[in-house]
Amino acid sequence: MDLAFTPEEQQFREDIRAWVAANLPSDISHKVHNALELTRDDMQRWAKILGKKGWLGHGWPKEFGGPGWNSVQKHLFEEECALAGAPRVVPFGPVMVAPVIMAFGNPEQQKRFLPGIASGEVWWSQGYSEPGSGSDLASVKTRAERQGNKYIVNGQKTWTTLGQYGEWIFCLVRTSTEGKPQTGISFLLIDMKSPGVTVRPIIMLDGGHEVNEVFFDNVEVPAENLIGEENKGWTYAKHLLSHERTNIADVNRAKRELERLKRIAKREGVWEDTRFRDEIAKLEVDVVALEMLVLRVLAAEKSGKNSLDIAGLLKIRGSEIQQRYSELMMLAAGPFALPLIHEAMEAGWQGDFPGGEVANAPLASTYFNLRKTTIYGGSNEVQRNIVSQVVLG
Amino acid sequence: MDFDFSDDQVQLGDAVRKWVDKGYTFERRRATEKAGGFDRAAWNELAELGLCGLYVPEDDGGLGMGPVEGMVVMEELGRGIVLEPLAQSLIAGGVLAGYADATTKAAWLPKIASGEALVVLAYQERGARYALGTCEAKATQAPGGYVLNATKSVVPVGDQADAFIVPAKINSQLALFLVERQSAGVTTRGYGTQDGSRAAEVVLKNAPATLITQDGLTALEHAVDIGIAATCAEAVGVMDKTMALTAEYLNTRKQFGVAISSFQALRHRAADMKMQLELARSMSYYASLKLNAPAPERRAAMARAKYQLGQSMRFVGQQSVQLHGGIGVTDEYIGSHYFKKLTQLEMTFGDSLHQLGEVASRMQDTAGVFA
Repeated sequence: MDLAFTPEEQQFREDIRAWVAANLPSDISHKVHNALELTRDDMQRWAKILGKKGWLGHGWPKEFGGPGWNSVQKHLFEEECALAGAPRVVPFGPVMVAPVIMAFGNPEQQKRFLPGIASGEVWWSQGYSEPGSGSDLASVKTRAERQGNKYIVNGQKTWTTLGQYGEWIFCLVRTSTEGKPQTGISFLLIDMKSPGVTVRPIIMLDGGHEVNEVFFDNVEVPAENLIGEENKGWTYAKHLLSHERTNIADVNRAKRELERLKRIAKREGVWEDTRFRDEIAKLEVDVVALEMLVLRVLAAEKSGKNSLDIAGLLKIRGSEIQQRYSELMMLAAGPFALPLIHEAMEAGWQGDFPGGEVANAPLASTYFNLRKTTIYGGSNEVQRNIVSQVVLG
Repeated sequence: MDFDFSDDQVQLGDAVRKWVDKGYTFERRRATEKAGGFDRAAWNELAELGLCGLYVPEDDGGLGMGPVEGMVVMEELGRGIVLEPLAQSLIAGGVLAGYADATTKAAWLPKIASGEALVVLAYQERGARYALGTCEAKATQAPGGYVLNATKSVVPVGDQADAFIVPAKINSQLALFLVERQSAGVTTRGYGTQDGSRAAEVVLKNAPATLITQDGLTALEHAVDIGIAATCAEAVGVMDKTMALTAEYLNTRKQFGVAISSFQALRHRAADMKMQLELARSMSYYASLKLNAPAPERRAAMARAKYQLGQSMRFVGQQSVQLHGGIGVTDEYIGSHYFKKLTQLEMTFGDSLHQLGEVASRMQDTAGVFA
């Protein structure tokens, strides 16, 4: 038992740190460190820089052009990126659909889709949730009917994150109504430029346009876009959900945001307030404990003794912590978190923010935005159901 | 980075677990509690297993082991809610080996390892609560050494221990001393504590004392940190068993014609208990793996760990009682004894509020497992 990273791992971290420092554009890291709005161009610029280096798919094995890092190396890479203020990689292509294509796609599909994902050229979206299918994902109704060498898709997906930029979307579609709901689902890749695809924005409580509804009206999809076998899509989707499970805890980002919370608390004069400071101290312990939990899972994955039954806890705890730091940041600003001035959340705004601190502008917005974290990816209540199965059978 | 136990560590844990399962039954524990809360025979059995000398160097008759072994052992003792305070031997072994002179080491370490001498930390005072630097006890030089005047409170097994490690001030400088219970000027008043174990008020009136170190605060902080890491590990064992008892009960108890583990409100509570248990286990690892770090890093780590453990102990203990319903609040049922143990451990070596203050006063710009 040993807490330290190996000398090789520490060297690896140094190398990553140096590379990120040299290659992460400072206008982007400035936005991330201050929670200012990131444009499509910001996100894709960083994705392409990573792609050029071969690190956009940093979790990929070597045979598909990835670096072939182990779980600890992946973690160190993610940590260095997060602490330096890199935007989160938009996960739908490189983290979500790519591993499914690698595991269940045919060689032609791999050759066709993986390069565009690895380079950051093609923007992917996720088509899982539907208006009637949230936690109960297996109830999806979007219908794909086979007609010759194509599928005709009809239905609606929702909560499609950044779908307004999407060029391709991977969807769970119903190809059969026989048997259990899980057995009639297929995994289909759909070109979002296809006739009959309509994307409609959903404006969230923070005023932002982050998610969308996607409508499919007699959309023709070539049958060659089906991943694996028809009606086996649920298995593939589960593979996807089990992938990168430490990622969802987002502990690296939590460490960065804890630093930011302390900066805000000092600036706003509550750092010396015992009651407030104690709340930060509690969060600090929460973050350290989450990091230990993550390190335990990583170490088990690295050593191959993947018998830990604690991965389900990561999502619950990680999301609770995200909500807590955003809440404390907002409370630190006090009355100056009330003004909601959207232009002030963009980089370079020259206006006069009430109270004089423009850095307070996005705090309420972030707090509102992060309420999603305990809901998406399987609500925390669903996660508790899963954990309780481990405890109680 | 590696959180697997070595084969030797697994074997050590197995040996202790076997003793707890076979040699430390609930009936024996209950009898010990009735008889005052400490059983020297059980203590000698721990010594025979080598556990009293876990932190005593091999040259002094001990096993010369480290914090991870300490953690493994304490977790197993926690699982059996063992009353005999092995953490005190870890503290005494660690502190004397680290700070005492050769003569004192030679006189005491072999006896600590063999179990012949039960040496306990007597540091708490009425006016100090959990603060370590606050100390009314006074030491004055006398022919052949020092004499101490002090009142130390809630000293584990204070009326049956063979010697005490006592912080006292020489002028304004905190120093650490060893005082034998049988010496002139030592009086003790023993009593039972929350969890059924034993403690005592220890009064020293011109009691002869051997100086361990003039750098008393450094050594006392180290002593308490050994105690915190041991307490964290012990608590994990207690909580682990509490969780298992609770899960078993939920799956067995029937109401409305079904096992109550079928009710989602109770399932979610069990999931929350599992969360607290695993956060606690993670931070117990953290505490033990930081126990040999430089003092400032070590102190900060212990405060963080003990805060988390305190939160977890409170939650797991209280929820276990609640999920058991009526049987959970009876003396007859074993679960209530686990709850009382958790309550006492939470208040040992600094409760959660105290530790939160320690964390808050030590916060830096950045924070994480490695900072």
